[in-house]
Amino acid sequence: MSDQDAVAQLRTEVRSWLAQNLPQDWRERQTGDDTASFLAMQREWFAKLVEAGYATPHWPSEWHGGGRSLNEQIAMFEELARGGAPRMSLFFVSLYHAAMTLVECGTEAQRARHLPAILKGEIWCQGFSEPGAGSDLAALRTRAERKGDRYIVSGQKIWSTLGHFADQCLLLVRTDSSGPKQAGITFLLMDMKSKGVDVRPIKQITGDEEFAEIFLDEVEIPVENLVGKENEGWKVAQVTLSSERGLTLVELTERMALSLWRLVLAATGGTGDTAMLDTSVARTIVDISARIEAMRAMLATLMANRIAGREAVGDASILKLAYSRLSRDFTALGLRLKGYAAMRDTRYVLGAGYETGNWMFDFLNSYQYNIAGGSNEIQRNIVAERVLNMPREKLG
Amino acid sequence: MTSTIDEMRIDPEELRDVAVRLLADKVDRRAGWEGRAEPALALEAEVSELGWYQLTAPEGQGGLGQRFDVLAPIYEELGRSLAPVWLSGTMAAIDALQAEGTSAAEEVTAAIVEQSLRIAVVWLEAGQTMANAKLPMVAGAPGATHFLFAGQGATPVLVARESAGLTVTEVSTWDLGRSWGAVDCQGVSEAVIRLETAEAAAVLLAHSELALAWDSVGGAAQCLAETVEYMLGRQQFGRPIASFQALKHRAADHKVAIELARSLAVHASAMFAQRTRDWSALATQSRLLACEAYAAMAEDCVQLFGGVGFTWEYNSHLFLKRALTNQILGGSPDQLRDRVAADVCRQALAAQP
Repeated sequence: MSDQDAVAQLRTEVRSWLAQNLPQDWRERQTGDDTASFLAMQREWFAKLVEAGYATPHWPSEWHGGGRSLNEQIAMFEELARGGAPRMSLFFVSLYHAAMTLVECGTEAQRARHLPAILKGEIWCQGFSEPGAGSDLAALRTRAERKGDRYIVSGQKIWSTLGHFADQCLLLVRTDSSGPKQAGITFLLMDMKSKGVDVRPIKQITGDEEFAEIFLDEVEIPVENLVGKENEGWKVAQVTLSSERGLTLVELTERMALSLWRLVLAATGGTGDTAMLDTSVARTIVDISARIEAMRAMLATLMANRIAGREAVGDASILKLAYSRLSRDFTALGLRLKGYAAMRDTRYVLGAGYETGNWMFDFLNSYQYNIAGGSNEIQRNIVAERVLNMPREKLG
Repeated sequence: MTSTIDEMRIDPEELRDVAVRLLADKVDRRAGWEGRAEPALALEAEVSELGWYQLTAPEGQGGLGQRFDVLAPIYEELGRSLAPVWLSGTMAAIDALQAEGTSAAEEVTAAIVEQSLRIAVVWLEAGQTMANAKLPMVAGAPGATHFLFAGQGATPVLVARESAGLTVTEVSTWDLGRSWGAVDCQGVSEAVIRLETAEAAAVLLAHSELALAWDSVGGAAQCLAETVEYMLGRQQFGRPIASFQALKHRAADHKVAIELARSLAVHASAMFAQRTRDWSALATQSRLLACEAYAAMAEDCVQLFGGVGFTWEYNSHLFLKRALTNQILGGSPDQLRDRVAADVCRQALAAQP
């Protein structure tokens, strides 16, 4: 079967599976709900996805649902988004960052220990950024010293997505400060229940707690939890960071497209008739819809190039800059249409991604895309220096 | 053995290479600005000679039977080189005649190819008809043998230049990079053909919009390239101004806007070629995004060139004036938005899970 046929068949399959399995009332049930119920809902949905093989299309083919082409993975994310399914928020780092790091760089024992556990719901977080190492990640200072068969780790991590719910952590530590900063970094797997680990959720401008700080005080990590070689963790971290291969942006953009139409329907009493809209609002909708279509087209090109192995330097930065700007302008349109209602209504749906039904939440949340995954300022440097060949500035 | 359709397809990228070479050789981008008319006429003759005007007419009518995908790179390269020729009036008319599909329309297409007719599209404004229209600035009018009156929901009507009541006068505008004509109608009524189908009118419009989108994408990309090149050479405080982060970030933002516009132009052109998925609204949306990116780039180009950006001698103003013209041809950005808003919003009905 050609890849094209496989993709078409998969789309049909996912659609009919969603019709059978997606709880129709999940959005209402989740609106304004508490964390415990969010977690329960996520676990329930994740178990269904695992059973159907839809959680692991990117895993090797010996796993149930694995061995899917990137084209099929894209189709799957698009169908889940278009079908209005919840996002995989709680398990995304486990399925992508953790699993792909272990598949590519882990030991046989590490894979045997964690991959089956991930499918049963083991939750992972990332311990990369630090208060003094954000855009300049390689400047990280969390220290690890080897003592016998253990590393003793002390330091502080920040911006760990859902770190307060995590069982395990992908941890970057400094094991050598004598050479270039990238050269002294080591990649460890840390059990979050270890003695000396203190996790504190960070309350964001949305009121939600999606990120966490992790304080490490002489935490003991067994040497068998080393991934790759000591002082060669930077290479492993690159594998972790590229593990989602652009699928997040594919999914978010699809959800944004769907959400625009939901907003238009709400603003026109379900008719889609512009006579119900202020002229300037209708004009903004034309512009936003143009930019969403442009974003989709640009993503499709990037993914096709990625599959063909001819991705150009800076493509991902251009996409990220385009998406983050669009995300702000799109949610600002929602705010403008909802007026007082947006300011009054403080209930939202966790894990919905542009479908929280709460425009103020989504607007505030859009600021995270200017920072996450490398701040927009860093992305602009990359575009200017590596795409437009403007001179690099000397950095420390 | 008969050859298959695919074998007769010209590779658009090969055509782009031809265009790039020709335009690098023949475009004298300052000619119009220095009052020299010959280079534009010579380029027009060369383009006719190469057969670009015959590319999309069906083979039965003397053309080469190609699709829109071969025109997109030509429009883009014309924009990039700031070429003074205006192909899109004739090419959009040929597409619209094909959409009309009658034998009368086929005869007109054959005549266009055989007699090298050149068509300027006249976009009527609110309240105007062929009885009373006065258009101050029509692209391609000075060299046109025929005028295709369209817009405002009217049936497009093709009229010969010498028709009674039609006066065309070459005019000078702020954009001296292309030639312009004022068109004055007093009871024009002799039609060569009327395009009765809604499809023909929509095709005429979408083709014209995509031509402007590609001209703008090409122009904006070239404007960015020349701006960056200038910034690399211009030294202040002992280093190139291209090394200042504040300026690099502006250049990066333009690059993002131009790439978004290019992506939409690619997508909208593909949808237009197949006449699928909201192709009509998409063409206009593509032009809006591309013209906005071009205007923003060209405006910033004047600033990023520093003092010399403000001179006639440097080329910043060539891009700026062309970008601002592209933005208003056939309707202002807000008029364009108002034209497609209903179609865009209606897509909401079809998209829900």
